[in-house]
Amino acid sequence: MKKIIALVLLVVMAVVGCFFWGCGKKPVNTNEILIWHWMTDRHQAFETLAQQYSEQTGVAIKIQLFAPPDTYSQRITASAQANTLPDIFGILDKKEIFADFIKYGLVADLTDEYKKDDGAWEQAMFPKALEVNRFTADNIYDVKPGIYGVPIDVTNIQMLYNKDLLEKAGVKEVPRTFDQFLAAVKKLNSVGISGLVSGWGEIWLADAFASNYAFNIMGEQKIMDTYQGKVPYTDPDWLKVFRVFKTLSEAGAFAEGVVTKPNKEAEQDFALGRAAFAYNGSWCVNVYHDMNPDLNYSAMLPPKMNPDRPMKIWGGAGSSFVVNEQSAKKEQAIAFLKWLSAEKQQAYLARETRNLPANRKALAAIPEVLSDFAKVMDNTTHPTIWKYNELPKVTEAFDKGLQSIVIGEKTPKQVAEEVQKVKEREMEKQRNRQ
Amino acid sequence: MNGYIIRRNMRYFVLHLFLMSVAVTCLFPLFYMIRCSVMDNQTIFTDKGILPSVVNFGNYATAWVDGNFGTFFFNSMLYTTSVVIGIVVISSMAAYAFSRLSFPGRDWFYYMFVIAMMIPLPGSFVPLFVLMNKLHLTNTKIGYILCMINVGLSLSVILLKTFFDKMPSDLEDAARIDGCTKWQIWWNVALPLARPAVAVIVIFNALNVWNEFILAQLLLSEEVHMPLQVGLMKFINVHTVNYPIMMAGLTIAAVPIILLYLAMQKHIIKGLSSGAVVG
Repeated sequence: MKKIIALVLLVVMAVVGCFFWGCGKKPVNTNEILIWHWMTDRHQAFETLAQQYSEQTGVAIKIQLFAPPDTYSQRITASAQANTLPDIFGILDKKEIFADFIKYGLVADLTDEYKKDDGAWEQAMFPKALEVNRFTADNIYDVKPGIYGVPIDVTNIQMLYNKDLLEKAGVKEVPRTFDQFLAAVKKLNSVGISGLVSGWGEIWLADAFASNYAFNIMGEQKIMDTYQGKVPYTDPDWLKVFRVFKTLSEAGAFAEGVVTKPNKEAEQDFALGRAAFAYNGSWCVNVYHDMNPDLNYSAMLPPKMNPDRPMKIWGGAGSSFVVNEQSAKKEQAIAFLKWLSAEKQQAYLARETRNLPANRKALAAIPEVLSDFAKVMDNTTHPTIWKYNELPKVTEAFDKGLQSIVIGEKTPKQVAEEVQKVKEREMEKQRNRQ
Repeated sequence: MNGYIIRRNMRYFVLHLFLMSVAVTCLFPLFYMIRCSVMDNQTIFTDKGILPSVVNFGNYATAWVDGNFGTFFFNSMLYTTSVVIGIVVISSMAAYAFSRLSFPGRDWFYYMFVIAMMIPLPGSFVPLFVLMNKLHLTNTKIGYILCMINVGLSLSVILLKTFFDKMPSDLEDAARIDGCTKWQIWWNVALPLARPAVAVIVIFNALNVWNEFILAQLLLSEEVHMPLQVGLMKFINVHTVNYPIMMAGLTIAAVPIILLYLAMQKHIIKGLSSGAVVG
């Protein structure tokens, strides 16, 4: 009996194996453009647009989703090694890895396409959205200068305000200057409403906030000079940046536990009306919609400390696609991406997925809160496009210093001196290595 | 006498209090998952009660339909069954050979199995993908099944070899006198005796295959081949998570493995306590 069972088992396994082996050898549709992406929330919208494109042009588009992003990146790396990349894909790694893909001939140079028709495609996009995909003439990666990707959406990090809570506290105008903001906080606190909430437990958000004020107070050149070691952190302008945190802390502007909160918790606080202001990225529109669809809010730039300089916020391309240089359907793939990044399709994507469009012409056709976010895309900057970046240990000391100031553990002067010491030590190490 | 009873009761009380706290720690995540699976995305953040004020079982239907769970569920069942059968058959034969047979390079091959266990799966992703691509096995069910059998073999061989090493050889001698061949001894004597160890291997590997999704994402492209865990990822967006639907999906995904554990509970406890995993 047992022999019969064993025999049957083996036969069943063999049949199942052969059946599924056979299933693997499906004929490949050579006229189909294959896209791999990682954006779960945009998959359905991409499918709809792909369907529309196929109906309009007769070109079949196949979209495959691989999430989360870490797994997607592993698949892209493995496929690059095996030379099985699809026609269109995304590179989620650092710019250095992006450069490697280009140098190995896996990513098409789209510069000529962007320049066609007097640069119509390039001009339609937010310049900052293209920056992430652009390699300038002086790039350090030895990549031929050009634009190598197509941004699908953009993001930026701003302040949000709850309209209902401001009204409840009698704050008539949205604060534009730092003093106006402090006055608004005073009114909010007097009626028991918390001021600013943010997920500074994820320290990069506090770093972004400080960076915004550094740009406003001293401008980009002085920041880059600091990173190069020409200006010390004990400079009066940097002390002003640190004092922003002290002043806000002393004025009771921060919601309780701001320096330890993960951003998800801070998002809950703002969405549920526990704080009047938030500092968060444009992705929050999606988050707040899920948590509280009735939330009445809008976006604003962090209130200026220095009225003579613009307030620069972090932002740039959110997600981008590239075209496989080795694809036999390269031209069709580029044509599809041109169509996908056109005004109508971008507006559709923004409405359906609540992400900011990469095409500036789409702003008129998107919800107000998204439009508020997108309007200031020209004010954005990001460490990935700066000529110089701070040394990691210095950034760590800087960020920890910000936390110390907020909880009243250290003064701005103490933090500035400590950061400068770390800076000198790290620069010394760097010199010794060279 | 009274003092003894009081001390004994106190000891029992403290012991049971400790055991209850461990049980609560284990069961609370399951309870929380089921609780959240019948709520909606707004009340999940505001309703602080132990039991939800409004119950919505429709989340299960939504998870099943939107997540295309029918296909994924079938695939996961197929992968789990095939991989577990494959591992049990191959590892029990290999372990028996390593334990009882004498052949050149036996120890060397065994140590190769042990070393293979030390290589983390993510570390082998790229070469594995390249190899499977050369064999034309990417995006095929059989390719994924073979990889998963390979993943589970090392630990299973080690566990079973430990078990076979401790098995008295008199039983095999008796079988040999009765005229059994090596295959028959393996099938009629060794394997039935190793039932507790096999039960441990079944549950360990079933859990591993049922919960695996990274390798599936790497090797498979078409949704028709994807396992259940990939379906769950549909509810996790880049910046947001549809918690109630995801919790409903997780509950659906957890049921088969809980049932399997309950069905094999007796053997697993025996296997664990009789030294199947103590080496």
